Amino acid sequence: MEENDGVSESSSETLVSVEISSEPNSSMEEYYQLQNELLLLTLGLMLIAFISVWVAYSLNTSLNYLMGASVGVIYLKLLARSVEQLGRSKSKVGKNQLALFIGLIVVATQVEQLQIVPIFLGFLTYKAAIIAYMFKALSKAT
Amino acid sequence: MDPLVASASVIAASLAVGLAAIGPGIGQGSASGKAVEGIARQPEAEGKIRGTLLLTLAFMESLTIYGLVISLVLLFANPLA
Repeated sequence: MEENDGVSESSSETLVSVEISSEPNSSMEEYYQLQNELLLLTLGLMLIAFISVWVAYSLNTSLNYLMGASVGVIYLKLLARSVEQLGRSKSKVGKNQLALFIGLIVVATQVEQLQIVPIFLGFLTYKAAIIAYMFKALSKAT
Repeated sequence: MDPLVASASVIAASLAVGLAAIGPGIGQGSASGKAVEGIARQPEAEGKIRGTLLLTLAFMESLTIYGLVISLVLLFANPLA
């Protein structure tokens, strides 16, 4: 009887440990909130920069910017997903995202109508959003 | 294109990608390892740790991207050609 109890205890422990490692816990809500906030900030900055570039330069340049910024948003989502999977699966950080970026730049260099600089600067919009988020978090902390 | 410029551009592109990947590669590996270690120690702080990791990785990966842009421009839209 005692042996059986021991076996059932160890199997239940194994089940519990598998459950913890495979399912996200409640603290992950904070992470999803951060993701949403970064996405909204990036979209807001995208809109402001798109209109500014349209006014300052031309529609063609602003559409180039928009293309780069859209790929930047997808890149950020993929990075967030790979960070979420870190430690849960055997995937590595930062592989698919870079392929996406390489594809964007190769297309920008090969197609006549596209310009590299607005597309690249558009891609970096997500970084500006992260810096804005950091300043926001710092101002909230102090 | 001048063959000398072409060969120098290819070498420069490979060096740009290779050298730009060393630092961020070490940094990302170290940061990710420490983050997973932290999550294992404190599962209740998982969201916060993963959030901080996302922000730091976004900054670190952009260093690789700078090298990548230089090399892709040298290969596909060389201004020296």
